Amino acid sequence: MMNVLALEFPPVTHLFEWPDFLFTDTPVALNKTGAIYVLALLLTAGLFWAAGRRRALVPVGAQTVAETGIEFVESNIIMQTIGPDGRRYLPLLTTMFFFIFFSNIFGVIPLVQFPANSRMAIPLALALVVWVIYHYVGIRTQGFFGYFKGSLFPPGVPWPLYILVAPIELLQILLIRPLSLAIRLWANMVAGHLLLVSFAVLSAALWGAGFIPAALPFFALILITAFEIFVSALQAFIFTILTAVYIGGSLHPQH
Amino acid sequence: MSRRLWVVAGVLVGTIAFSASAAGAVGETVGSCIFEELEEAQFDGIEGEGLSAVKNLKDRYKAGDEHAEEIKTDFEADLEDCIEAPNPILPEVTEIIWGGAAFVVLLALMRWKLFPVVKNLMEQRTQRIQDSIDDADRTRAEAMEVKASYEAELLDAKTEAARIVDEARQQAGVVRADLQARAEADIAEMRERAAADVEASKRQAIADLQTEVSDIALGAAEAVLAHNLENPEVQRQLIDDYINSVGAGQLGQQG
Repeated sequence: MMNVLALEFPPVTHLFEWPDFLFTDTPVALNKTGAIYVLALLLTAGLFWAAGRRRALVPVGAQTVAETGIEFVESNIIMQTIGPDGRRYLPLLTTMFFFIFFSNIFGVIPLVQFPANSRMAIPLALALVVWVIYHYVGIRTQGFFGYFKGSLFPPGVPWPLYILVAPIELLQILLIRPLSLAIRLWANMVAGHLLLVSFAVLSAALWGAGFIPAALPFFALILITAFEIFVSALQAFIFTILTAVYIGGSLHPQH
Repeated sequence: MSRRLWVVAGVLVGTIAFSASAAGAVGETVGSCIFEELEEAQFDGIEGEGLSAVKNLKDRYKAGDEHAEEIKTDFEADLEDCIEAPNPILPEVTEIIWGGAAFVVLLALMRWKLFPVVKNLMEQRTQRIQDSIDDADRTRAEAMEVKASYEAELLDAKTEAARIVDEARQQAGVVRADLQARAEADIAEMRERAAADVEASKRQAIADLQTEVSDIALGAAEAVLAHNLENPEVQRQLIDDYINSVGAGQLGQQG
């Protein structure tokens, strides 16, 4: 059980690296990170299943959470970045938001206490999915040459500057966008997890010296835990809204 | 499932598989790395394989073999590489597989069933609320029409009432003027008649009085002056003149 549950402080190498506990020595070996992704799948699916089952006129419980999530993604992400024709991406972006949020929030869930996105797996995989989607949308909407011409040679720039701008833009749409998307999410969750572990270790270490010395880091630990809940939602929001921004840029190059 | 969904699913799986294959081998522990290095140890010019090769290397090194010392230095460097922390930014293949599979399954479930049910629920509610608002608007418009109709009727009634009152007032004025005129005429006639009656009565009274007084005076004069006045006509004339003068004096005092 020590391979999964956060019942004791792990060795430093296991802050982010977890040994396999199922299907070991196979290509589908499951460790804690993979298990959290499966839990995020079950939680999101369970939430929407429960929301669709109640069918109450005045929503309560899971229905409120699911409907608020959908409305939030639709009003605050899609309508702000893509516009009405971005509604077709609502299922994708809603799924992305909830999946990332649930993967993150396990960083503060007792006995789990590990944000799965502090591993690079899903941040990178999702960033690559986004990369494929926004290129596909851009090429489908503007054509191959139109898309790359619009991206590399933005209008309103004096032509000598294109020598500088075009390579930067090429790097941006091919590399910087997906990498920044992945690294932003990953690094934020790594930093949050390190902070939580540091203050937890500090509190435990100072507990031997008495209640008063341990109180300060413990109080900070509580504050950081609350802050991590906020960061979990914020990073899910940022990842989703940037995805919408990239898709919107491919759909409406004039903006 | 539509063809487009199959394409999307294919793109997602392909992307995740690509990122998984690019991930490389990370995540092995220090112990397993050292064990693997020892197990697979093979050195140029040293007999044996694995641990026996390491033992032979040790013997040669202790015997002062310079070549063995170089090999030992290289082998130590290889072993130290095992102690280096794994690159935290490189994702682990199994985590990408589990995370990617979880996301793809979740997205498929969401697109297939979970999301449309909740979204339809929201749209039905929106439609129901919109219908209620439309109904309320329609009812209010109808009520406003009825109210306007009633107000128009009320205004007509008020106008009619005012007209009737005006007419009645005018008629009353005419009747009053007529009655007043008639009453004034009656009064004037009655006053004239009364005046005439009074005049006639006065004249009659004066005449009666004159006759009576003259008779009395005559009688008295006869009695007093029977012997002094021989001509009765002269006597009468004298008495009448006297009475007239007396009567005029009395009337002047009464008037």
